[in-house]
Amino acid sequence: MNGAIGGDLLLNFPDMSVLERQRAHLKYLNPTFDSPLAGFFADSSMITGGEMDSYLSTAGLNLPMMYGETTVEGDSRLSISPETTLGTGNFKKRKFDTETKDCNEKKKKMTMNRDDLVEEGEEEKSKITEQNNGSTKSIKKMKHKAKKEENNFSNDSSKVTKELEKTDYIHVRARRGQATDSHSIAERVRREKISERMKFLQDLVPGCDKITGKAGMLDEIINYVQSLQRQIEFLSMKLAIVNPRPDFDMDDIFAKEVASTPMTVVPSPEMVLSGYSHEMVHSGYSSEMVNSGYLHVNPMQQVNTSSDPLSCFNNGEAPSMWDSHVQNLYGNLGV
Amino acid sequence: MASADKLINTDVPEKDVFAFHFLQSLSNLRKQNPFDTPDQKNYRVRKIKKAAYVSMARAAGGSSRLWSRALLRRADKDDNKIVRFSRRKRKVTWKISSKRRRSNQRAPVVEEAAERLRNLVPGGGGMETSKLMEETAHYIKCLSMQVKVMQCLVDGLSPK
Repeated sequence: MNGAIGGDLLLNFPDMSVLERQRAHLKYLNPTFDSPLAGFFADSSMITGGEMDSYLSTAGLNLPMMYGETTVEGDSRLSISPETTLGTGNFKKRKFDTETKDCNEKKKKMTMNRDDLVEEGEEEKSKITEQNNGSTKSIKKMKHKAKKEENNFSNDSSKVTKELEKTDYIHVRARRGQATDSHSIAERVRREKISERMKFLQDLVPGCDKITGKAGMLDEIINYVQSLQRQIEFLSMKLAIVNPRPDFDMDDIFAKEVASTPMTVVPSPEMVLSGYSHEMVHSGYSSEMVNSGYLHVNPMQQVNTSSDPLSCFNNGEAPSMWDSHVQNLYGNLGV
Repeated sequence: MASADKLINTDVPEKDVFAFHFLQSLSNLRKQNPFDTPDQKNYRVRKIKKAAYVSMARAAGGSSRLWSRALLRRADKDDNKIVRFSRRKRKVTWKISSKRRRSNQRAPVVEEAAERLRNLVPGGGGMETSKLMEETAHYIKCLSMQVKVMQCLVDGLSPK
């Protein structure tokens, strides 16, 4: 019965954090045999369970004997016997296995603890490896990092996610089975950035959905940019052709029109330029335009009497005069 | 036309802003060469093309984007105007040399394509690949906007 109690003491403390348990185990393993027990009790004193206090006070006295008994009894659950503990990998594995069984129900609490621990360790820019329970790698690492608070014993899945915080540093956890030096981690971060942006570009460029693979997509993007630039060049050629050379003296025309017709043409520009919103006029561009002297442009009457010249943008009936550009500007003023 | 992506900001102004800037630059062109326009069409074409790019850069946000800044600098240099952003450019080139050396080792497939992209996108020589792709996205949006505007203009002006 004593052994059972000892076993319960060790494994079933609901309030004892996993870390403390780990520390306890490690203290068992590394230093001499006598001190770990003391250390263990020191840790256990940190437990603040309402029910356990009274229990512990008695347990502190009784435990050494109980442990001795348990080893004799060969309680498989405990297995903290000094002969078996010293530096055997098997023992460690078993220990953790048993703990996993017991800790499964306390998963939530452990994740909570883990968050606390993570927060504590946040100041350092550290690369941590989190690995599965029961793998020897993790145990060895835990040995080395026994003092660090970040090292925790989780029952999560093997894949570890990246944690991005809003501090200057980006804390990254290396995935299982990958290198952990800073260069490769930074490299990985950079690659993920690039692939993120590639996805964004994929949405922009039409016809990129079917292509997979970075190289193909990048080629597609390059082709698209080139085609857009070629289109601009082609359209500028067209513009140059469509607009005839101005043969007349524009200034005189403008000067004339200022006097004659003030604002009678206001409604038509509004009609025509419905395709373009007039917001920019209200936003303050109009003052600029006034200053630059575009106001006195009103060659409409001279240019096209039949149809509304400014309807070029809507209907396609266009005066083949260069002045239409200026008319548009005037129309933007228009209101 | 706001992008839904929170990390990358590729907002581009509306079509009318582009139209306004383009028309303004075109009328400026006319004002500059009113009567003695050269007969050579190439000259006009080049002028119009340059006006298109410059107006696009201005419409897309002047100096707030790397590519637009580089474009405007290039245009000003051609006209022998004072280059304003030289100090920044020097900073950027400083970064290139240190970053390029390392970046050459990274994912050669991506880097080859990035080189080609750098030649296409103005100001691409001074950027890391991830930044380059952001700029490319914004550049593509602006280019397509400009193309739409010019297409409208041509359609409006061409006789039926």
